[in-house]
Amino acid sequence: MSMRQIQLNVIDLPKADYTGGPSSLCPGCGHDQISNVIIQAAWENGIAPETIAKMSGIGCSSKTPAYFLGKSHGFNTVHGRMPSVTTGANMVNKDLAFLGVSGDGDTASIGIGQFVHAIRRNLNMVYIIENNGVYGLTKGQYSATVERGSKKKKGEVNENPPIDLCKMAINLGCGFVARSFSGSKKQLTALLRAALSHRGMAVIDVISPCVTFANNDESYRSYNYVKTNEEELHAVDYIPHFTPIEEVEIPEGEFDDIELFDGSTLRLETLGGDHDPSDAVAALAAVHDAEQNDKHVTGLLYYDSKMKTADEALGLTETPLVDLPEEQLRPSKVALDELNQSFRT
Amino acid sequence: MRMAKTVNDFTINIATANGTGSQSANLILLHSMFEMGVPVSGKNLFPSNISGLPTWFIIRASDEGYQAPGDTTHVQVVMNKDTWLADVEKAEAGTIIIHNMDVKLPVERDDCVVLGMPMTKMARSINPRLARMIANMYYVGALAETLGIDQNAINSAVAQQFKGKDKAIELNLQAISEGREYARENWDCDIGYAIEARDKDPNTFLIEGNEAAALGCIFGGINMLSWYPITPSSSLAEALIAWLPKLRQADDGGATCAVIQAEDELAAAGMVVGAGWAGGRGMTCTSGPGISLMSEFIGLAYFAEVPGVIWDINRVGPSTGLPTRTQQGDLNLLYEASHGDTQHIVLIPGTVDECFEFGWRAFDVAEQFQTLVFGFSDLDLGMNRWATAGFEYPDQKLDRGKVIRTQEQLDAIENFGRYRDVDGDGIPYRTLPGSGLEPILYRGTGHDEDGIYSEDPGIYAATVARLKRKIEGARDLLPAPILREENDKQVGIIYYGSVENTITEIDDILESTTGLKVSTCRVRALPYHSEVERFVAEYDKVIVLEINRDGQLYGILRKELPVEHLSKLHSVAFSDGIPPRARVYAEMILKTLTSDTTEVIA
Repeated sequence: MSMRQIQLNVIDLPKADYTGGPSSLCPGCGHDQISNVIIQAAWENGIAPETIAKMSGIGCSSKTPAYFLGKSHGFNTVHGRMPSVTTGANMVNKDLAFLGVSGDGDTASIGIGQFVHAIRRNLNMVYIIENNGVYGLTKGQYSATVERGSKKKKGEVNENPPIDLCKMAINLGCGFVARSFSGSKKQLTALLRAALSHRGMAVIDVISPCVTFANNDESYRSYNYVKTNEEELHAVDYIPHFTPIEEVEIPEGEFDDIELFDGSTLRLETLGGDHDPSDAVAALAAVHDAEQNDKHVTGLLYYDSKMKTADEALGLTETPLVDLPEEQLRPSKVALDELNQSFRT
Repeated sequence: MRMAKTVNDFTINIATANGTGSQSANLILLHSMFEMGVPVSGKNLFPSNISGLPTWFIIRASDEGYQAPGDTTHVQVVMNKDTWLADVEKAEAGTIIIHNMDVKLPVERDDCVVLGMPMTKMARSINPRLARMIANMYYVGALAETLGIDQNAINSAVAQQFKGKDKAIELNLQAISEGREYARENWDCDIGYAIEARDKDPNTFLIEGNEAAALGCIFGGINMLSWYPITPSSSLAEALIAWLPKLRQADDGGATCAVIQAEDELAAAGMVVGAGWAGGRGMTCTSGPGISLMSEFIGLAYFAEVPGVIWDINRVGPSTGLPTRTQQGDLNLLYEASHGDTQHIVLIPGTVDECFEFGWRAFDVAEQFQTLVFGFSDLDLGMNRWATAGFEYPDQKLDRGKVIRTQEQLDAIENFGRYRDVDGDGIPYRTLPGSGLEPILYRGTGHDEDGIYSEDPGIYAATVARLKRKIEGARDLLPAPILREENDKQVGIIYYGSVENTITEIDDILESTTGLKVSTCRVRALPYHSEVERFVAEYDKVIVLEINRDGQLYGILRKELPVEHLSKLHSVAFSDGIPPRARVYAEMILKTLTSDTTEVIA
């Protein structure tokens, strides 16, 4: 009998406890790579699956919560409205770790209002946009994030300027804004692990090629195009709070460490340029410059940990509201008698 | 020469401009009469505007307890130059017209009793800066003097209105006292109408339906309020915001209910669904335009079986309609909101006591049936003040429904599935996020009994059939109708909601003009209780009375009652935005009863 050693994470769970059902997306879809990164990141971070809530809207990307974290509750809601459902759930159970998955149609068009307001409130969640520039489920119409000059497989070149969700998030004061590529597994995993260690809204805009409708070379979101036009701000390493720092490979050149909410560290190794993620204007400039040159800039664009989250700002009691006993939810009969009396006099 | 005085049976109409502080003056009048034990009601007809547009406040004193605006105005106060001529012109002969002489517009009515007072000038002499607002207190003084309102009652009403603001109390009392004095010295103070004290139940007080509903929600364990401002529902949310810290603080000083002002009604509804999905008690309040926007989420809550509560304080539709006027025009919308086949539970209070009761009960019903529950009120009930003897404490513990919270509970269920009907009542069991018990991905797409995506025709048909059975099963567990039955089973009237405030007077008019004794049945929930069908079965003719154009409850009854009863049903429906006047509806009922038969009214 052969012994196969099963690797366990810090809470003694195998990776199998983080997987989901089989994907029904097109073979090669960037979204499936992102699902695998989600599985990997949640497992490596040692998050108990039952404490995660998977949230999504409608679209190819929003179907994916069925394909990862099968031991977590989830809600595949309505088109563009995942943030509001997440807000309501977060208010009554602030101890859940909310992981939202959305697409570019879901977020940049129908749901742009809810995206904006979830950021404005600093809702405590990770918000992943699986961004391919097209509506897949309705067979390949352009979405609002597609670059000017880009062309999908069928149809005309897009002439409308794109809505850049990272620029938008930075302008709105989001405390964690990153861009990545579904094909950059190492970078995306480190960024997602850091986002999961962050408290507050963490937006990760992931370029995720649509293999069916926009993987032609004239598409700025095809695999080939992104691979040759990606500009990484820095190399990233995630160092969990439960791992002694010596075990991590220390990069040779210069690096900056970002202390995350749960005590983990995101190590940014400078590559050529010198991006300071605490500088919002520099982050906007980096995105702007890339856009001017038809490039994709990736990495941690902006980081600020000082803001209160939506639930903190409301001064909620320590216990999650769903766990409060009846005595805390319904005032006493005496309280009602006194209330009636106060109206009488 | 005057006739004998009319005591506690007249209507005062006060015409002012919005934003001039007249609401305080009007509430002081209302409360002072109430303080004297006189049954009184106040209706605020206000514009969709903050400052300058016309407002009318109608106070009706009635020993009979009639609460609708009277058909005749007996005392007309005119303060607003913009409506002055029309207000003066529409007064019936014999009306007492009290006017502010400083407006300097004519009151040419030889057939009325015209009483002028330089209200602005007098107000300016005691406080030039606040003269515009204080001028209103002079008509309070004038009416107090001419009607014989007790000064102690005035004092107490002023103190209540300006709680703790000593300066304001002093200033307004001075103005009222000067108004009294002027009336005494310059007018013939026997105007033929008088307020006389009655024995007041010391337990009673006046309160708005929206505040009562808000308090009910607090006693119902609300965990999350999401709201988007819209008249006439904003005051419900604002009452919750005001009362929550006083009634629902946790031991650590933290809040036990999150309040979020949403970016729009879509988000407000989404937050309710999110809160319910996570196991909390979420509520939002809105009006018709908000319900239209929320409809997508309402369908999701229905299909994914997520509890939640939405209060609709009905205003006049369609579209933006008349935003500050009242109607019962949303009933159909609520009952079948969202696309596809849906059916929602609607609780319909008719009194402020029921606003409170349904405020807490709605959460129990929502969790019991794992569905969205509407509270259906309207501007008249929600934003005007009504009497109550005090709210009653809930007679049952919180009903959290079929929630599995432990592994033992889960193990006790054979073949668990989120949407499997284990008990045969159409209501499945659910587990909550965070529990680690039987997690599923909730969805608005087709799903099987385990919650797995499915397009299977048999599974879809079985799912929607179960949903229908589930809501059907609620009928007799929801608040039963309030019946007032006569021995004579000729005519029954079915009505709901704020028509409660007018029904007694309608009933009296019908009896006094035709001798007809009608029975009444006030529906308090949809789907309607089996008692409603029993009521219809027993009467020769049944009038369905409502404040809308199309007879919306009439339509629901026609759809759901057995076909043999349908020929008995007659719709009497009318809405012009003004709270229902009894005579208008009584005449429509009489016309309906006489139009197609001569048997009933012999």
